[in-house]
Amino acid sequence: MKWVRQLGISALALGLGAPFAGSSFRAPQRGLDLDSIARAIDQGSDHVSARQLAEWIRDRRPGLRVIDVRSPAEFRDDAIPTAENVPIDQLAKSHFAPGQTIVLYSQEGAHAGQAWVMLHSLGVTQAVFVPGGLADWREEVLHPSLPANASTAERAQIEALSHYFGGSPRIGVEQGGDMASATQTGQRPRRRGC
Amino acid sequence: MNDLLIAGGIGVAFGAALECAGLGDPPKLAGQFYLRDFTVLKVMLSAMLTAMLGAFWGGRLGLFDSAAFYVPDTYLLPQLVGGLIFGLGFVLSGLCPGTSCVALAGGRIEGAATMLGLLAGLLLVGLAFPAIESFYRATPYGPLTLQGLTGLPYGVVVALVTVIAISVLAWIAKREARP
Repeated sequence: MKWVRQLGISALALGLGAPFAGSSFRAPQRGLDLDSIARAIDQGSDHVSARQLAEWIRDRRPGLRVIDVRSPAEFRDDAIPTAENVPIDQLAKSHFAPGQTIVLYSQEGAHAGQAWVMLHSLGVTQAVFVPGGLADWREEVLHPSLPANASTAERAQIEALSHYFGGSPRIGVEQGGDMASATQTGQRPRRRGC
Repeated sequence: MNDLLIAGGIGVAFGAALECAGLGDPPKLAGQFYLRDFTVLKVMLSAMLTAMLGAFWGGRLGLFDSAAFYVPDTYLLPQLVGGLIFGLGFVLSGLCPGTSCVALAGGRIEGAATMLGLLAGLLLVGLAFPAIESFYRATPYGPLTLQGLTGLPYGVVVALVTVIAISVLAWIAKREARP
């Protein structure tokens, strides 16, 4: 009984000392750290390709959180598997643990990029976004066109990834005039939107 | 994998602590509802006190970042209804989800029955989710905390909760000392 009393007294002391201990939170990092934002954009560590994201989801990368910043209606219509819907107006209220990898995406990427800056200003630096958004996901993961100059192993890899998510590669698209010239010059045709 | 091992270790320790406190015993838990046995209140209050003081002082001493703790969102109405259903099941079976695992591990058949009901309930809610989703997301308040609600500094809230918890614990100890 004696040590129970002692435990109680020490708990009371710790509790009563709390008001005088100051804040238990580290200095808030709110505000835009423009240097780090510029560095991340410059180095490309601000974004991740749809295909890379697909590999992360398939490999069950620990701590991965895929966030869809579109409206709930759009989210219900079609979304990347495993994604959770956090509309952009809810983003600032959400909690993101430091160990998580946050991947943001929107319809075509612009909103996700803006959401990335928002999260950065809230001190969430472990976020990345998918530049082409859901449009990229469909074009690069679900229905990728197999590049003519790719090796068999590479083709098999792209095919496997597409099949994993229930899509199917578009074979022989390269013969289209526009696409063919784009493939030859090693550049993809300009995609819709941002 | 490492995370799973750590979580597993913490889970086993949690279960062992519950068993040590006697919370694997349904009549003991149900006794709390009839104010015959205050073990549940004692365990809960001391656990909350320990966790709160640990979270506050650990953050203050820089052991971790308190801001990174996940505070669940409040959905007032659905959580009130859920709490009532939870309490009803709790007093009926004498076990809550955590203690049902402990009871089963301790070889009590009530534990298995409660876990069966728990899993059946999960399945039912999962199946009915599209129908109840609008209610599930009703009256959202975001993550609520006492300091956010009262506007008091965090440290003052810690002190107030400590005083209340210690007073209740001392009252229970006095009550139990009486024959």
